[in-house]
Amino acid sequence: MFENTKMPEGMDPQILEHLMNPQNYGKLDEYSCVGVALDEKTGEYVIFYTLLDGDVVKNVSYATNGCQDTVVIGSMFTQMIKGNNLEYANGAIQKMHDKLGKLTPQQQICADIVFSAFIASMKNLEHIQAGKEEEVHVLKMKDSCESAGMDNKKGMEDKKNG
Amino acid sequence: MDKLFKKKHDLWLSISFASFAINDEEIKSRLYDFALIAFRHMKWIAIEVLERKDKYNYDRDIMLYKRDNVFEILEALASEIKEIQVLYKDNELGFRMKNDDNYLLEYISQVLNNTNNNKEVTAFNMQRKWLDKNLPQDQIDALTLFLFDESYKEYELILIYAYMQVRTSDIKQYNVYQDLIDESHFHLKSFANMMSRLGILALPRELHEMTYIVKDLDKFIKDGIDEEIAAKEMCKELSEAIKDEELSKFFDFINYQENYHIELMRKLL
Repeated sequence: MFENTKMPEGMDPQILEHLMNPQNYGKLDEYSCVGVALDEKTGEYVIFYTLLDGDVVKNVSYATNGCQDTVVIGSMFTQMIKGNNLEYANGAIQKMHDKLGKLTPQQQICADIVFSAFIASMKNLEHIQAGKEEEVHVLKMKDSCESAGMDNKKGMEDKKNG
Repeated sequence: MDKLFKKKHDLWLSISFASFAINDEEIKSRLYDFALIAFRHMKWIAIEVLERKDKYNYDRDIMLYKRDNVFEILEALASEIKEIQVLYKDNELGFRMKNDDNYLLEYISQVLNNTNNNKEVTAFNMQRKWLDKNLPQDQIDALTLFLFDESYKEYELILIYAYMQVRTSDIKQYNVYQDLIDESHFHLKSFANMMSRLGILALPRELHEMTYIVKDLDKFIKDGIDEEIAAKEMCKELSEAIKDEELSKFFDFINYQENYHIELMRKLL
């Protein structure tokens, strides 16, 4: 799926595990802030819930109607930041880029929508802390899977490029 | 939120995925019939919930029965069926669902009485082998990704169309939704059975309400048509990429089905 995580025998078992059983997927009943990243062209979204205990990301979850790349990246990213402090979480986007390695343009869009949803949840937190009433913070994506000419075809491209 | 609807949603998935997981064609087929009955129960419960101005959603508590043999799957399924009984009301719908469930329990009991039925379950063994054919790993990977993407998408479409179907008073729309739901049931069954053969059977992920509460039907349908066109292209490429006649023919068949599927969707515009 991701070029640099390929193993000789094919798909990385870790990726397969994320596909079969995405971690931290769904809604949180109790959360401190929530953000949405939305691709208006395709209607694809990621919603990101964060529960904080002081400075620590005590719990986190995400949901999406996007493709499997989005699901896998969301699963990996939430695993990475859960239990860590906000400073770590904010720096985790770069760590995820390092972990994922080289991505196709379409996979990059999937990664960006996950990270943008997390950033939106942090914006929501800022606004709540500033005393603003904001149920959810929404960030609209600049780049779209549609404009990249792909969406559901990503899997096939992985196969060809990988 | 209606608890019975949630439990019935879980049960529909449990029966469906028990069917997908089990290799014996007769048990698979009988369970699938019961799964479709459970899906109709879901629809009738939804209508009842809306009539009393209450709400339901697509949240779930289900855990997939990843068991090693047929009996363990069926015993877990029987327990789940027995648990839901207390939620049925004393009305015609409640009586109907009780009666259907009792017949399913009776069928499960008959299967459990014959130890020859207790075969190994290979649906979760992660082997990713396609029957006895030696497909190259890149083709298996492409097939794997396709099945995960599309099984989720079919599950999503079944629930979205069902959500809209019980809310429309337009008979033409109602019928189109029913056709689309039936189409997606068939595709979900086909893809999930293929995942089972590959040893990677998994539940589609849960739907968030942002996915199924549709505010702009026209945009939703237009986006959906674009997705179907992309899925058609993916089927075509998969058919060309996989050097297996049986699989290629299947993906050509699905690809061709999508043409009229798109026409059905256009009727909603």
